[in-house]
Amino acid sequence: MSSAPAEEIPAEEIDLSEANHIIDKYLTLPGNLMPVLQGIQDSYGFVPRPTIDLVAERLNVYPSQIYGVLTFYSQFHMKPRGRYIIRVCVGTACHVQGAERIVDTFFGRLGIGHAETSADLRYTFEKVACLGACGMAPLAMVNDDTFGKMTVQKVDEIVETYNQRPM
Amino acid sequence: MVNLTIDDKQVTVPRDATIYDAAKACGVKIPILCHDKKLHPFGGCRMCLVEVEQMKGRLIPSCTTPATEGMIVKTMTDEIVKARKLVLELLLLKHPIDCPVCDAAGDCDLQNLTYEYKVNSNRFTDEKFNHAIDYDNPLIERDMNRCIHCGKCARICDEIVAFGAYTFINRGIEAKMGTEFDGPLNCEFCGSCVSVCPVGALNSRPFKFKARWWALTKTKSVCSYCGTGCQLTLGSKDGKVLTTIYDENQGFHNGQLCTRGRFGYQFINSDKRLTSPLIRKNGKLQPASWEEALEMVTSRLRAGKSDPASVAALATARLTNEELFLFEKLFRGTVGTDNIDHSAGFAHEALTVGAKASFGVAASPSVIADVQKANLLLVVKTDAYETHPVIGFEINLGVKRKGIDLRIVSDKKGKLSRLPGAKTLVHTPGAETALFNALCRSVIDQGLAVEDAAGLAELKKALTDATPEKAAAVCGLSAAEITALAKDFASAEKALIILPIGLGYPGHGSALASAAANLAILTGKIGKEGCGLLIMGEKNNSQGAVDLGIYPKSTGLSAQAIIEACALGNVKTLFVAGENPVVSYPNRAKVEKALDQVEFMVVSDLFLTETAQLADVVLPACSFAEKSGTFTSLGRRVQMVRQAIKPLALAKSDFEILNAINSALGGGSFANQGAVFAEIAASVPAYQGLTQAGLGDEGAVLPVAIAAKLVPVAGEAQPTFAGKLALVTGSALYHNGTMSRFGEGPMYVCPDGYAELCVADAALLKIAEGDLVTVTSGAGSVSLAAKVGKRVPQGVVFAPYHFGEGSINTITDGSAVTWVTVGKK
Ligand code: SF4
Ligand code: SF4
Ligand code: SF4
Ligand code: FES
Ligand code: FES
Repeated sequence: MSSAPAEEIPAEEIDLSEANHIIDKYLTLPGNLMPVLQGIQDSYGFVPRPTIDLVAERLNVYPSQIYGVLTFYSQFHMKPRGRYIIRVCVGTACHVQGAERIVDTFFGRLGIGHAETSADLRYTFEKVACLGACGMAPLAMVNDDTFGKMTVQKVDEIVETYNQRPM
Repeated sequence: MVNLTIDDKQVTVPRDATIYDAAKACGVKIPILCHDKKLHPFGGCRMCLVEVEQMKGRLIPSCTTPATEGMIVKTMTDEIVKARKLVLELLLLKHPIDCPVCDAAGDCDLQNLTYEYKVNSNRFTDEKFNHAIDYDNPLIERDMNRCIHCGKCARICDEIVAFGAYTFINRGIEAKMGTEFDGPLNCEFCGSCVSVCPVGALNSRPFKFKARWWALTKTKSVCSYCGTGCQLTLGSKDGKVLTTIYDENQGFHNGQLCTRGRFGYQFINSDKRLTSPLIRKNGKLQPASWEEALEMVTSRLRAGKSDPASVAALATARLTNEELFLFEKLFRGTVGTDNIDHSAGFAHEALTVGAKASFGVAASPSVIADVQKANLLLVVKTDAYETHPVIGFEINLGVKRKGIDLRIVSDKKGKLSRLPGAKTLVHTPGAETALFNALCRSVIDQGLAVEDAAGLAELKKALTDATPEKAAAVCGLSAAEITALAKDFASAEKALIILPIGLGYPGHGSALASAAANLAILTGKIGKEGCGLLIMGEKNNSQGAVDLGIYPKSTGLSAQAIIEACALGNVKTLFVAGENPVVSYPNRAKVEKALDQVEFMVVSDLFLTETAQLADVVLPACSFAEKSGTFTSLGRRVQMVRQAIKPLALAKSDFEILNAINSALGGGSFANQGAVFAEIAASVPAYQGLTQAGLGDEGAVLPVAIAAKLVPVAGEAQPTFAGKLALVTGSALYHNGTMSRFGEGPMYVCPDGYAELCVADAALLKIAEGDLVTVTSGAGSVSLAAKVGKRVPQGVVFAPYHFGEGSINTITDGSAVTWVTVGKK
């Protein structure tokens, strides 16, 4: 598996026509910044930086303001996201049960760190706070599937399983 | 109006006042952290809590709550004190409390309130902030560990500066005041955010570790850069000006300054300042005594008295009124020559010829306060923001807050074009006068002209050919665009034209001023508030230089004729007070040659400028911080300049220099600069009755008696040259004249000249941002770094003029447009 973090993918390769199309659609709507950014996120899977500059220019809003909105709402991402989002809980209960070892093992297997995405866009890895199932600590999730009582071995199983899944 | 009671005091305030405003009106001080009178209310810090009898049960933020009839307000109860202490404790929780090394100490609202409310312990504990400090730019340090999240920086940068560098980023405990992509600050560096930051989170780097705030001597004065005439407070210590201090109560601009005013003061104590008179001996300038230097100058001028036509003198419009008056007295009076001028001659003609013909006075009929009172602003060139940034702030405020309809006619787009609703007509370079003529013609054609305007018949006749249809081709606009603008201007209740002038704008001369005046007169927009024409002189005392007659009045030579007469040997003695013709007058090679040839040239200046280097005698002069006197702003406001520090080294003010020479030549002498002002008040009609003491902090606006008259002027089509680009010159935001080159601030941000091209032309010429390019005209060629952007249209190159190295006047000849070729070096 290649391990170049996704942000190294050159930005110029992004086709802005879809973003332009979305902006056209909302151009005259008051309060159009949110729907435009949502549209871009839906269409590109994240909000690529060149689209931020484009939105700033075309809607005549400050780039700083867009950045503020994007960092305020957790629904927005400014880097491409993997098809499979692996979350490992590092909340108190999970921490006590050795969550860090699970995290480190994932790092090793996937070749990506916290909040990073693999270059093939298969995985995004995130450490998260309490997922609300402390009884099953240490806990991991892949998209909507939950894996309790995690072990190093289970990490290998998860990676193997999801390597086979379709993109 | 509403009546209410605050701390047992009765007060009556306007309907839109808040409780905070009402308290202020009756002298009750409520502590604030996030509130600023210039900005939209935010209501975030809860420092200003008060008790309102009618709203019992909770404390009310006074800065956002409207005052209503019959309210009974208490601003200081035990409960309020408790609440304010809590606010402070929470703010101090994650704050580093590193006051001993913070430059804001003494001027910090958080520190002062902590002291006032005796918060000497904290009931809470938490980790301190651990944000990286932004040291990336040379002017503003951002230490977000000290930030109290008042949001003032973001609001001022948006509401007044309209740059929008800041925003709150992230959420929850991660939240902080940040920039686009959380990167380093990269903005206009006006320093407005630094000035309103209540703590030491935003600092002026040039002032860092220079002095404690309380050890500074504070002197109220006036900015010595552009004609806006912003008031400022100089902070000095041990004979050095170390900073400018923000005072929200100063001037029409409430203490706002641009990057030049805020960060450009370092020229005052620059180590490049001249420290002694210099005399050319064996072809080299050598230090000399004042006695020797003045003796040489006076004997030369004494001899010149018998042939006054062989003497000429140029002054900069940076001198005080008192100095300019003496200058005029010495040369026109004592020596008897009319060969005196300033600003290359052409850069004041909009006033001395244009306004004089159209309004009967060599001044703008309008004042700065008219900007925000207009319904429609018609700005000639987006550069108006760059030339006069604080008037730019007035435009921003007017457009953003009051919804003023902003129209711009310009040879390129600029920052003003991005204001909400702004409409920019980008016309062919040099077509301004033709465009205004067509606007006038269209106003007449649409039946929107006032019928009794003086000179209407003549104007109508002169405009026979100036139809929008014909002008369209000349201007590169459509007839419909011209007609629509004419209609909108005429139909606006109050409309004001803004016209910057100066050395970088050779096309903004008398013809354009009169053409613009015609539009205002024709549409009845003269003599009313929020209406008219504001001609914006370039230098701090451009208006004063005009008022005091520093230009040829009868048979004398204009600045450029003086240069030619120097070359021909007709002018044998040239006195230059602070002008730098080598860099700022058109056609550098010609100027250099002429100044080289003139028999005897004296230059008084702060620096050994490119012009001073050619002189026979150089006299070290004082900056505005080392002398007192008055400047007159472009809004005709006469304001006091007050001495903050002693003259540097052997420097003398131009007042002292001119006074000594004049008295040696038998022209009399003045006891001090104040005595000169008294003489000005006695002999210059507009200044009648003024006294320096009477000017106070506010200054005084000179009256004008307008006799408006339509003055036909020719607006010709500019010739075009296939394969060439149109070079237009102008001002860079960070500079003004050639003096800002000695201000560290402006030079950090914009150290060199550049040639700005559009993306398409750059691609065609295979030029990339930063490439060294050669720009060549008939007069010569210069190398400049290329800037590629979206501001200039295709076929146009823009270059600022301030710089000595690769100065753009090497290739310009004083025409509105210079045709050039641009090639990669
Ligand atoms: S210096 Fe001026 S432009 Fe820059 S962030 Fe501060 S207020 Fe905005
Ligand atoms: S940096 Fe200063 S002005 Fe800006 S939010 Fe923080 S404390 Fe307020
Ligand atoms: S340069 Fe002009 S606009 Fe800037 S602070 Fe000085 S007077 Fe004001
Ligand atoms: S701490 Fe991991 S699920 Fe609660
Ligand atoms: S000053 Fe009123 S809430 Fe901050």
